Amino acid sequence: MVKGFLTSSAAWFFLIIFAIFILTPIVFMFTASIMSSKNITRIPYPWFSGEFRWQNYWQAIKGNDGKFLYPRCIWNSFVVASLTTIGTVFLCSLTGFGLAKYKFKGRTIVLLLILATMMIPFEAIMIPLYLIVTNLKMQDTYAGLIVPLIMNAFGVFMMRQFLITFPDELIDAARIDGASEFGIYLRIILPNSTPALATLAVLTFRSQWDNLIWPLLIVQSPEKRTIPLYIIQFATEKYTNEGAMMAAAAIASVPMFILFFTLTNYFLTGAELFAAKKD
Amino acid sequence: MRGVERKKALWGFIFTVPAIVFFAIFNLYPIFYAVWMSFHRKDLLSLKPPRFVGLANYVYLFRSESFWNSLKATFIFAAGTFVPMVVLSLVFAALIVSRKRLQRFLQMVYYSPAVLSSVVAASIWLLMFDPRGLANQFLNFLLNTKGVDYRWLANENMLRLATIIVYFWKYVGYFTIIFVAGMASVPRSVHEAATIDGATKWQDFWYITLPLIKPTTLLVCVMTTIQCLRTFSTQYLFVQGGAPLKPIDVIALSIYNTAIRDHRIDRASAMSVLLLLIIMSLSYLQMKISKSEEVSY
Repeated sequence: MVKGFLTSSAAWFFLIIFAIFILTPIVFMFTASIMSSKNITRIPYPWFSGEFRWQNYWQAIKGNDGKFLYPRCIWNSFVVASLTTIGTVFLCSLTGFGLAKYKFKGRTIVLLLILATMMIPFEAIMIPLYLIVTNLKMQDTYAGLIVPLIMNAFGVFMMRQFLITFPDELIDAARIDGASEFGIYLRIILPNSTPALATLAVLTFRSQWDNLIWPLLIVQSPEKRTIPLYIIQFATEKYTNEGAMMAAAAIASVPMFILFFTLTNYFLTGAELFAAKKD
Repeated sequence: MRGVERKKALWGFIFTVPAIVFFAIFNLYPIFYAVWMSFHRKDLLSLKPPRFVGLANYVYLFRSESFWNSLKATFIFAAGTFVPMVVLSLVFAALIVSRKRLQRFLQMVYYSPAVLSSVVAASIWLLMFDPRGLANQFLNFLLNTKGVDYRWLANENMLRLATIIVYFWKYVGYFTIIFVAGMASVPRSVHEAATIDGATKWQDFWYITLPLIKPTTLLVCVMTTIQCLRTFSTQYLFVQGGAPLKPIDVIALSIYNTAIRDHRIDRASAMSVLLLLIIMSLSYLQMKISKSEEVSY
């Protein structure tokens, strides 16, 4: 009994120490975002200095040039991530439905091809993709940011795996009632697969909100930049103080944290689904 | 009836047409394009048409010091991240699963850095690795030194360690969750049978849990390796923030710089092809292993 208690408290100790390591940088970001440089670089770091320097947030929003580009960049990120998410959810579920519930010639080949593309790392095709997008005159446009990422093989595969277990009776009943095949997708499949769709949506939105390398290649004009590009620019400018840099980071993180706290389950099952991606 | 079946088959095909078109244009074509480009001489800005040069780009890469340096930087980063990532996420998952309370809460806390965007994560750590930052304060406290600057962003090895820490911090919770899911799928009855037979908690973990979650472990191993080979954001921001490029010039960063800064899309394409080959063979290995290692309860 005593031994059990000891190992248990050792486990708790270990878990809590590590939780502190995990949370420290996040707490650092929020506390530093309301401090002056003088306080941030003080040794030891004053976690709660009592200082509330809201000017940091104002500086992050206004930018060093006073052009208020950050709100514009936040809007860009929001538009790009949302449209990509809507497209991904719609197209991946449609394809997944086709692959899961219909028998047609070449289905296996299509499925295998999609599985194969799942292994292609984006970093290995980004340069040719960049050339293709430039040739299509989509450079420096929303379309250039969205279109090449509007579908992903993992999403198709995940929706197919989910829809394979979808009850055939529901589909057949709708067919007997005279529904068209596309009508079945719209009125039967979509409303009845919200958990899978929401998980895919959260995964996609998160990864687009986070995307750095693709906007870095595609975007040229300052007002087309997304949040990660703005933060990099802002963080490396000479007139940016540490507090303002953390304020910009905090502003970018708050929407994701709100999403995380309201949709925790979809975030966590998203990670779990990756674990189940083997056939 | 046959007509109906045929009509259905047609619809099934129509539903997959957008996907076929999409993956053909934006995934498969770029691969062929990269392979083709890697055998040609082409500058990003020059209007001259690509000239066939055979294997010249590959020969150049294998002779260039900076390419080997990139491979080395990537390999050190992947190896340095792999061991702590796999071992600790497994340990944390085991500890979390054995808790009676706060399981969900702990999962949320550990996962939270994965919610931040990688640029935000890198910019936080950039400040913490500052000479006057928290990383030095912590190390001084730990090693009982006073006011020593460990040169996190200047010393070659410390800089490598710094990028590894950022990456480990950001994704360890993600892999912990995957392990938790793997452990949850082991039927409770197996553990109960072991306990009735007198197994201790340690024995239960070592002889029951670990062998049964082998597919999950393999998956995490391969995913960690592949993700590490693709790392970009932290290194990019650190270099922009003033850190030296050479120790952390990982392959994705090198591809980007070769194409965009040096305008050598031919060499960048050759590097892309090599990266693709490495990652594809790893994925293939994973499929082979996971097929042969299926467990049944």
